[in-house]
Amino acid sequence: MRLPLLALLTRGPAHGYELKQDLEKLLGAAYSQPNVGQIYVTLGRLEKSGLIAGEDVEQSGRPNKRTYRLTEAGHEAVLAWFDETNDEPRVRDEFFMKIALAPESGLADPIDLINRQRRHYLRTMRDLSKLAASEDRDNKVSQLLIEGAMLHLQADLDWLERCQEELE
Amino acid sequence: MRATVRWARADLRAHRGQAVFAVLASAGIIASLLLAVALSSYAANPWQRIFTQSKGAHVWLHTQAGAGQDDAAALSRIDGVTGVAGPYRTGRAVLEAHGTRAQITLRAAPDQPPQIARPLVTAGRWLTAPDGRSDGPSGAQPTGQPEIVLERSLARVLWAEPGDTITMIGAADSSSRTVRVAGIAEAAEPGYRPGGQPGAGWVLPATLDLVAPGSAARSVGLRLDDPGDTDFTVQRAVTLLGADRVSQVVKWQQVRAEAGGDDRLLGQLFAVFGLGALLAAALAASGAISARVRGQLRDIAILKAVGFTPAQVVRGFLVQHLAFALLGAAVGTAAIALLGARIPGRIGEAAGLWQDLPGHGAQLLGIPAAAVLLIAAATSLAAWRAGRVPPVPVVRAVQPSAVPMTPLARRALGLRVPPALVLGWRAAFQRRPRTLAALARTALPLLMITAALVASATLDAFRSRPAEVGVPAALTVRAESGAVAGEGLQRLLTAPPGVVAAHPGVEAAALVPGQTGTITVRGLGTAARPYPFSIAEGRAPAGPDEAVAGQGLLDLLNVRIGDWVRMTVQGRPQILHIVGRSIEPEAGGRVVSTTLDTLQERDADIRPDFHHLVLRPDADASAVRAALAGAGGGALDIRETANPADRLEPAQGVIAALVGVLALIGLTELLTLAGTGVRDRGRDLLALKAIGLTPRQISATIVAAAGFTALAAAALGAGLGLLSGHWLVEAQGRASGIGAGIAQLPSAGVLLTVVVCAVAGAVAAAAVPAARTAHRRLADSLSETL
Amino acid sequence: MSDAAAAGPGGGIPAGDAPSGAGGVPIVRAEGLTKTHVGEGAPVHAVRGVDLAVQPGEFVAVTGPSGAGKSTLLHLLGGLQRPDGGRLWLDGRRVDGYREARWSVLRRRSIGIVFQFFNLVSDLTVADNVELPALLAGASPRDARASRAELLAELGLEGRERSVPGELSGGEQQRVALARALVNHPALLLADEPAGSLDSKGTREVLRLLSRFHQRGQTIVLVTHDARMAGAADRVISFFDGRITDDARLDGPEPGPRRGPARGPAGSVSHVVELRD
Repeated sequence: MRLPLLALLTRGPAHGYELKQDLEKLLGAAYSQPNVGQIYVTLGRLEKSGLIAGEDVEQSGRPNKRTYRLTEAGHEAVLAWFDETNDEPRVRDEFFMKIALAPESGLADPIDLINRQRRHYLRTMRDLSKLAASEDRDNKVSQLLIEGAMLHLQADLDWLERCQEELE
Repeated sequence: MRATVRWARADLRAHRGQAVFAVLASAGIIASLLLAVALSSYAANPWQRIFTQSKGAHVWLHTQAGAGQDDAAALSRIDGVTGVAGPYRTGRAVLEAHGTRAQITLRAAPDQPPQIARPLVTAGRWLTAPDGRSDGPSGAQPTGQPEIVLERSLARVLWAEPGDTITMIGAADSSSRTVRVAGIAEAAEPGYRPGGQPGAGWVLPATLDLVAPGSAARSVGLRLDDPGDTDFTVQRAVTLLGADRVSQVVKWQQVRAEAGGDDRLLGQLFAVFGLGALLAAALAASGAISARVRGQLRDIAILKAVGFTPAQVVRGFLVQHLAFALLGAAVGTAAIALLGARIPGRIGEAAGLWQDLPGHGAQLLGIPAAAVLLIAAATSLAAWRAGRVPPVPVVRAVQPSAVPMTPLARRALGLRVPPALVLGWRAAFQRRPRTLAALARTALPLLMITAALVASATLDAFRSRPAEVGVPAALTVRAESGAVAGEGLQRLLTAPPGVVAAHPGVEAAALVPGQTGTITVRGLGTAARPYPFSIAEGRAPAGPDEAVAGQGLLDLLNVRIGDWVRMTVQGRPQILHIVGRSIEPEAGGRVVSTTLDTLQERDADIRPDFHHLVLRPDADASAVRAALAGAGGGALDIRETANPADRLEPAQGVIAALVGVLALIGLTELLTLAGTGVRDRGRDLLALKAIGLTPRQISATIVAAAGFTALAAAALGAGLGLLSGHWLVEAQGRASGIGAGIAQLPSAGVLLTVVVCAVAGAVAAAAVPAARTAHRRLADSLSETL
Repeated sequence: MSDAAAAGPGGGIPAGDAPSGAGGVPIVRAEGLTKTHVGEGAPVHAVRGVDLAVQPGEFVAVTGPSGAGKSTLLHLLGGLQRPDGGRLWLDGRRVDGYREARWSVLRRRSIGIVFQFFNLVSDLTVADNVELPALLAGASPRDARASRAELLAELGLEGRERSVPGELSGGEQQRVALARALVNHPALLLADEPAGSLDSKGTREVLRLLSRFHQRGQTIVLVTHDARMAGAADRVISFFDGRITDDARLDGPEPGPRRGPARGPAGSVSHVVELRD
């Protein structure tokens, strides 16, 4: 959450609620109802690290709203973030651990595990399809995120098949 | 049914070119076959041809006591008589020309050839009346000399040509006059054989009066509308004229039998080749259809998946291709029936004449029917295989199993042999059953063409190299008794420069135990000067009592070389030792030949009847003949030795027509081959482009593959064709009594032409489709390449 | 549904996690189907003792690694190949003994098939291709034309009647194939990787069409690799090494606890994206 928020602030100062709305609009159905609390906490941590600077704004009849803007350091941090390449975790090691350990422990049948996980993935896929159908076609970011998730799921399912082939 | 029709129609529309080609090919093949049949009727039955062309008379009545116009009128009123020829005045005479004599019956004819039994003028012209009207091919000026038109066989024996002057001696008063030969004609009458019936000739009535005045003999010819009714009509005619007046009745069956001769040889040859051509046509059709089915395997699988039953698929193909075959047969038959006579040359003549020959209708319908039936059978097989295609459109259906590159091929590529040639070679010789089947099918028409060429070369040998086929002496000379004989004659005969040797000879009939007919015994040559027999097996007779026999004799008496044969010659027994087999084209091969010495041993009174003159290869027979006639005065009778070449000559035309049919069939096969090759290589198009071949190289690969296959097929077909043609001709020779050993192989040049034509045809057939395939834009969808 | 019964030979078929099926005759029922391919090399046991039942209106997806025999199973259900053993019922009629001709007649009216490639006869136009099954089933040319026009319009292919398959894109060809498969309103639609050779746009189109027809009540059996297509089905059968290893219904609540992102109401995923610190 930290660097996306910093990146959003490059457009100009904003306060927490605005940032939440921005996220919602950007990500659409892929990230519906973001957690406001998590945003405020993250903003606080960012301020403490000196990447953003906050400022209170007077509001009549309400508690003060805190507006944040990007500092030099924060700007540098965003540039560095865009520069680096990302490595995502490649393997859902928890599930694989289960498969690997099932025959050792004798408490579960690997094939049964695989089948159940597959069913779960398929249901998730079904839900993702429905999500994509319901989302606005023009929100390319959202559509791409959903498609990315579907492709990952396809890869996971293919890998499940491989596991089944090898472990049978 | 609707669905099948819809599919067939759309299929037709998509492959219009193939459909048109199939129809045209069938039409061409059937038309050529019909022409071949027409030509063979023309060739194998000369009497029939002449009879039809000349509107021959079925019955000739010869009377000795005159017959007039009212007789003719009465005869024409007999039931079944459609025309009367004559009555013509006739008279006997003897003709003499160039030392040869022949008996002749002259017939008085008007200056226009008659309508019924019209003699067909083949050289010169018909008789002209003195006041200038003429008829015939070359209208010449009438001269004061009396003219005669000779019948063809008589003219051959006399060696007379239009414009020659010959001597005519009347039988009644032995006065001799000269007459000019105006022309030579063919007639449907018995031909002239020396020692047989008198020959025929036509003169103007005035000329006949000169030679045989007051002759009361007449000839009347009757043309019937039902040839089978001859006997009945003859009875009625004889009754009408009066049995006492009629001296001779000649029926058409007799004439035909006499003119028939040994044409079984030809007939059988034609039958074999004709059947072979039909078979080859059926195979070509089957091959073309199978190729088409293979190209459509995917579509057939889809159709089955959609719901076509196998029977429907089979029916679809069958109906389509049967329709092509029927349409082609109809077009070909109609073309020949309507336009056949218009073809220039002898072919058109034969086609036009064929329509009047008996059996024409049956042949015109029967042969196309047989061809269509055979094609239907072949189609059924291919269609049945189409029905067996599995309904699952599989990708791996027709991929060949890969054969690794042979070291030879690799070396060739290393030596910078063009890759197109190497790849084409590999593609052509894949050693898969389908490639071998295509090779065999393409080789078959080439095999038959080569066999036909062997037959043609053999027939040609009778004319150009008679010494190898049993006729070593070109001329036969008979001297009148009392004239020069013995050594004097020998010197006289060998004097002209073209003569190599003169061999004395005698011929007699002999009886053999167990046979009712006679065989011919010949004594030719002496021990000092042996006759050059054409020996096929064994050796020439050298010692006493040795002889060579023809195949016909060996078969008749069931003896082999080395056996002794006993016979009775002119009342005396004779035993001969058969030491060899000679080639005997005459008398059915039932001839035994020995030396004159052997016969003289038994009967010292035997003197040579004739001399056979062996000429140098480049000598001109007629020049020698003229020289001898001059030297010998009128005492020598010089003739051409009997040679079967004349009656075998027309066969060449038939063989040419059959070769044409087979060439068409071969072309069909080549086109199928080219099409299959293009399709197979087209599948590899992507791969070939990937390894770096340019489009031109790719099309060169396809063309090279087709060319190599054609080359292999031509080599195979020519090789096997030489063998089978040789065997066929030898078998025919043996069966007809001439004897094995007559087969001649065609020259290397001719064979090379056949091979080159086959390869050129394949290359031409493959060139355009190959170029089109190679330049095709590659599709990126997978289904295109599969 | 037979997957609720005892395990077949060679490994158990886990019980489906849905209440056993509706009453009435299943459209397809198979018991112990077996098929072995004999080719060059060792024989391949493509289908070993498969039991299956498909109810009318179901959308069944068969997934599994390639070479597992899914296509062979589909071919067996459609009569394109004859089983070596086992029994097969279509709409209550025993069909495994039918000869090829009888299968063809059955396929005309009752089964529509869509393959991955080679769906259309290359010589016929689009219109002819679509009308052919109708004509085979005995419809008059006029009725066939009407059905064809309706279907082509529905699939967005008006104006392409006279084109030849060679002129169409891959996606268009598959749509025509679908039209052809559905022109007779068959009881069963079999599809073997219909989107296998298409790009993602083509896949989406095919998926949309299949879902649309399924909603109208078409029974569909689909063989696919694509998880998205499998996810569109009601029921997913996992096919592995010639046997069915799993048979799951995808609609209905998911049993058992799970760990992962929170789920929103009605089982929908609430966060595709995870924004963590």
